[in-house]
Amino acid sequence: MILGPVAQIVAFSLCALIAIAGALGMATTMSMFRSGIFLMASFIGVAGLFILLSADLLGLLQVMMYIGGMLVMILFMVLFSHDPGGAMMAGMQLPIIEKFFSLGLLPREQKQDEHDQNEQSGHGGNGHQPMEQNGQDDHAGHADHGDQDAEQNGHDEHAGQNGHGGHEDHEHMDMSMTTPIKKPAAVLAVLVGVILVGLLLLRPAWPIVAATPNPNSAEMVGHLLMGKYMLAFEGAGLLILIGIFGAVFLARAGHFPDERGREARVAVDAQPTAPEAPALQPVADADPPDAAELVGVTEIQTRRNLEKDGRGEQ
Amino acid sequence: MIIPLTAYLIVGAVLFAIGIYAVLAQRSAVMILMGIEVLLNAIGLNLIAFWRFVRPDDYSAQIFTILIVTIGAVEMAVGLAIMLLLYRNRQTVQVDAYEELHG
Repeated sequence: MILGPVAQIVAFSLCALIAIAGALGMATTMSMFRSGIFLMASFIGVAGLFILLSADLLGLLQVMMYIGGMLVMILFMVLFSHDPGGAMMAGMQLPIIEKFFSLGLLPREQKQDEHDQNEQSGHGGNGHQPMEQNGQDDHAGHADHGDQDAEQNGHDEHAGQNGHGGHEDHEHMDMSMTTPIKKPAAVLAVLVGVILVGLLLLRPAWPIVAATPNPNSAEMVGHLLMGKYMLAFEGAGLLILIGIFGAVFLARAGHFPDERGREARVAVDAQPTAPEAPALQPVADADPPDAAELVGVTEIQTRRNLEKDGRGEQ
Repeated sequence: MIIPLTAYLIVGAVLFAIGIYAVLAQRSAVMILMGIEVLLNAIGLNLIAFWRFVRPDDYSAQIFTILIVTIGAVEMAVGLAIMLLLYRNRQTVQVDAYEELHG
């Protein structure tokens, strides 16, 4: 496909902008669903760059594999990971994004990112306004899920907070999508980007060939796959087979702990031996156990039983 | 061929940096997988750019990119399965909820 120079430049800048802005939005937005959509935009941009580089087969493959296959998996995972507490989807407030701006992570693209988000929430019908009227739980990240989903999240969150009891504030602090090393990670990423771009700009002398590739690239790729790279092709097939087996084996329907067993396991994991030592001591001394120690022993007993239940069911 | 090779490589480098940030800074395992996909995309873009500009007669780069896409798909599927397992055990897929793996 031969484009004019102006069309080439326009297409390249459009695709590059979509790819980079999509990846940046994926990395910085607080809503996981929105991250998936941004990732799809980034894939489309990279597919456009592939097509511009006259690797049209790979552009098609990119769209089919990533967007048709992997993104469905990603969105399934995002929908699946609505945990009690709504921890991952929550916490998208403007100050956080403002904080991202102030981190210096490509601030020019950040504006584009914010523009995209505004556009997207505008398309979403019930955008930020209904969510902001709620006031108390200002989860603007839920904005593109519609009211029903947001209500579901709110319900889950309240249930989770009731379950967790005392440390609500800690949970609320812990709701952000990023780890505490966000700032060093951003610094490292910017550093890597600057170093890579600097190296590219300092060493522009690759032996560039002016020849145009065969337009029938699918045939060439097919011949190579069936000839020179037969072993790699078969290895990829074997890898896919093993991956299917592994995924099915890992995610097979089995017996998993119910709520009681899970809570017991979490409690046991939290303090594995601490309550056991003082309770066993009086039993070894053969003192007549008074009421408090009896309570302690029975508590340990029930906890052990619960743990056994959890392990056994698994 | 108006667009120079360096422009494509810069796009790839920026994508790579963003992917590194996403992998390091995100808390949810899903987001980490997304970051890995962005990293793989950047690598594929670099491969294809070098193929187009340096060796347009040798189609090995496209084979490599196809293999990268395949490995990414398998990794995503296995990652999803592991995530399902983790979620069933602890009701969360946030990676710092599994601190006992510190060793």
